[in-house]
Amino acid sequence: MTVICSAQGVFMLEGACPGEDAEKLLQCLASNPAAIIDIRRCESAHTAVIQVLIAFKPKLLNVPRDNPIWRWVLPSLNSQE
Amino acid sequence: MNDFLRQFLIESRELVVQATEGLLLLEKSPHDADRLDTVFRAFHTLKGGAGIVAFAMMERALHSAESLLMDARSGKLSLNPALVGDCLTSLDQVSQWLDTLEQTGELPTSIGKPSAAQAPPDWATILVGRHPGATARAATAFRFTPDRDCFYKGEDPIARVSSLPQLLALEIEPASPWPPLDKFDPYTCNIVLAGLTGTSGGEVGAQLRSLSGECEVRTLKSAEAPATPVLIPEMVRKVLQEQLALLDVKEPLGAAGRIASVGLTAANAMRFCGLDAHAENFARAAQQSSTHGSPDLRDAIAQLLRAQSLAPAPARAPAPASGATGAPGEPVAPLRTETSARTLRINAEQIDALVRLTGELTVAKNALGHTAKLAQANGDSSAALLKEHHGVLTRLISQLQSSVIGMRVLPLRSVFQRFPRVLREMSANLGKPTELIMEGEDTEADKTIVEMLFEPLLHIVRNALDHGVESSEQRRAAGKPAVARILLRAARDGDQVLIAVADDGAGIEVERIRQVASDRGMASREDLKDMADSDIIDLVFAPGFSTAAHVTELSGRGVGMDAVRTAVERVGGRVSIASRFKAGTTVSFSLPFSVMMTQVMTVEAGGQMFGIPLDAVVETVSAGKEAFSGVGEARVIVHRNRTIPVIELEGVLNAAPERRQRTETDATIIIAAVNGQLVGLQVDRPGERMEIILKPLDGLLSGTPGIAGTTVLGDGRVLLVLDIIGILQ
Repeated sequence: MTVICSAQGVFMLEGACPGEDAEKLLQCLASNPAAIIDIRRCESAHTAVIQVLIAFKPKLLNVPRDNPIWRWVLPSLNSQE
Repeated sequence: MNDFLRQFLIESRELVVQATEGLLLLEKSPHDADRLDTVFRAFHTLKGGAGIVAFAMMERALHSAESLLMDARSGKLSLNPALVGDCLTSLDQVSQWLDTLEQTGELPTSIGKPSAAQAPPDWATILVGRHPGATARAATAFRFTPDRDCFYKGEDPIARVSSLPQLLALEIEPASPWPPLDKFDPYTCNIVLAGLTGTSGGEVGAQLRSLSGECEVRTLKSAEAPATPVLIPEMVRKVLQEQLALLDVKEPLGAAGRIASVGLTAANAMRFCGLDAHAENFARAAQQSSTHGSPDLRDAIAQLLRAQSLAPAPARAPAPASGATGAPGEPVAPLRTETSARTLRINAEQIDALVRLTGELTVAKNALGHTAKLAQANGDSSAALLKEHHGVLTRLISQLQSSVIGMRVLPLRSVFQRFPRVLREMSANLGKPTELIMEGEDTEADKTIVEMLFEPLLHIVRNALDHGVESSEQRRAAGKPAVARILLRAARDGDQVLIAVADDGAGIEVERIRQVASDRGMASREDLKDMADSDIIDLVFAPGFSTAAHVTELSGRGVGMDAVRTAVERVGGRVSIASRFKAGTTVSFSLPFSVMMTQVMTVEAGGQMFGIPLDAVVETVSAGKEAFSGVGEARVIVHRNRTIPVIELEGVLNAAPERRQRTETDATIIIAAVNGQLVGLQVDRPGERMEIILKPLDGLLSGTPGIAGTTVLGDGRVLLVLDIIGILQ
């Protein structure tokens, strides 16, 4: 399992998150829209997962800045209206 | 926008409100000297703030107003409505600037912006304009829209695009507006990827060929820098969009009035931005539209809006239904829609009240869950309904909790920022030049945690400087830089906030601690010899322990490290220390992000129910009689190759008046970790896991050892939550 839901509304994405994780992440956000996502240990994520993050813009923690994917995706995650 | 500007924005807005209110009251009672003073101070503080953030224009405007007020104070000028009006006008201008600052994140550089007219740029030009840093190297702009069903083909467009050679910029936008959460299909690809690369268009096309979707590639002429489109502030854009909506009203009655009003508003909006040419253009178009009934004005506004973005946002407000139009000819006031999500300052007590209420609500919710279970057990027909409602309530309350927790969150900066000064003074007093490095000040934690941190951190920093860091001469002799370094670092790790204070000083001499511990009779010499170095170092947290040869003004009285541990454990945190002799010491705190919710596991012992904090529980095992063996008076089990002492919970708590005969059945043992050591707690029966709001004991019972607090269970009983460390002492 690469999406870990925790007690206090912090969810962790870990390792390489495949497309199936998008559904899990969506469920987490549906049950707790104020959830915070910790992606420190997320090495890569499928487009489907990133799409959920871009669409609902949950607060992200510990974005790995030197990671090739997050580096490019981050500006789109931050461009909130 | 940086924090500094954000703070400036918040404070300036408050001061503008304060000054405006004051001015209005002053107009009614011009001889109120106190009021005049208040208004003057507000202007003065505003001006000061503008000076600090180097906002010269605002500073100048406020300076003029301030001079007027000063003359009014000294009686040189009478406080007439004209003067008040002038001051209010200056505040209006300041408000507009603050709006611009809030939208653009930058200080406005002129009352408007220089005008520049040009053709509407296409997506590639806009993309380049949005990434000025990449312009010089960008050779190709691309826009790729993956097929909606591409995920089913096993494609991962973002991974592919982000690995394009010489990628310089990437923007990901929705292809069509995002559906709401409950209608969101995670397996439909709904994004457009646009970016700039330094490679040729052919290469980009070749790279993306393996993906299904539409790809547009544009080769950029790097020789001529593309003209940046006129950027108008968001607020003005919204005003213009509203004007378009107004023009789209099909009601013939009052059409001329609407055109005139829209022309006037649009032209004014352009003048506000300093785009005088556009203003004249709009005025001309309005003239054309009203005399010939042509769509000139509509086209002009739409064209400008198109230039602002790839896809102009659809007019937010739908055209009002006919009959609901405004009075003809009435000028439309420029709308100030959603310009500012203003900050509210709320008394911390009110937030605490909200926390308490949320706690009560959780208890009530748990009671409902209990009722639902009872109903189900009784075969009640309403059980399913009750359970469903309980589910909804659980979800809503968990959202409420997150929001409330979010309100109590503060950045650690508020604690960290006190240290540079403290350290400066200490290092001067001790004559040990020290550099303080702070990392992760933006890390957030609950207010309670942030507020309790200063004293423990101060103590650790003092210790580091006083005992850890050597004198410059000693450092030089040891081959270290003369200036010592103290690192204060914070980071968030899931539900935990980690804080470390590290120094590059002398480190802890383990043998010396062994010696002191032995001298003080804290343990026998043999025991101390057998203990691991890390356990020995941990002894510094024991009450009354100090190895300092001298008691200094700063530290060394042996009170403190135990107080640090007590303070940290009181909020459910842990503190540990690691040290390398001659290389430095690191004290690490691991604190809960929020103290509001605690997860407990309930257990039954001696016929009573108790809660054990879940973070201490490692596992629950069932052990037969033969698993136990005796070591002296104590009983132990061997589990996973480790010998774990077992304590009977009911015995420790005196829960049962008389000792019952130990049953022959398997014993249930909760294995808990306490300061890194495992201990087994024998209980009658494990219960369930629940989230509770822990209430510390107060009144006569406060400080009862072994009890961390209480909570009310769903059926109204009080659950005692155990403090495992307290029990073991």
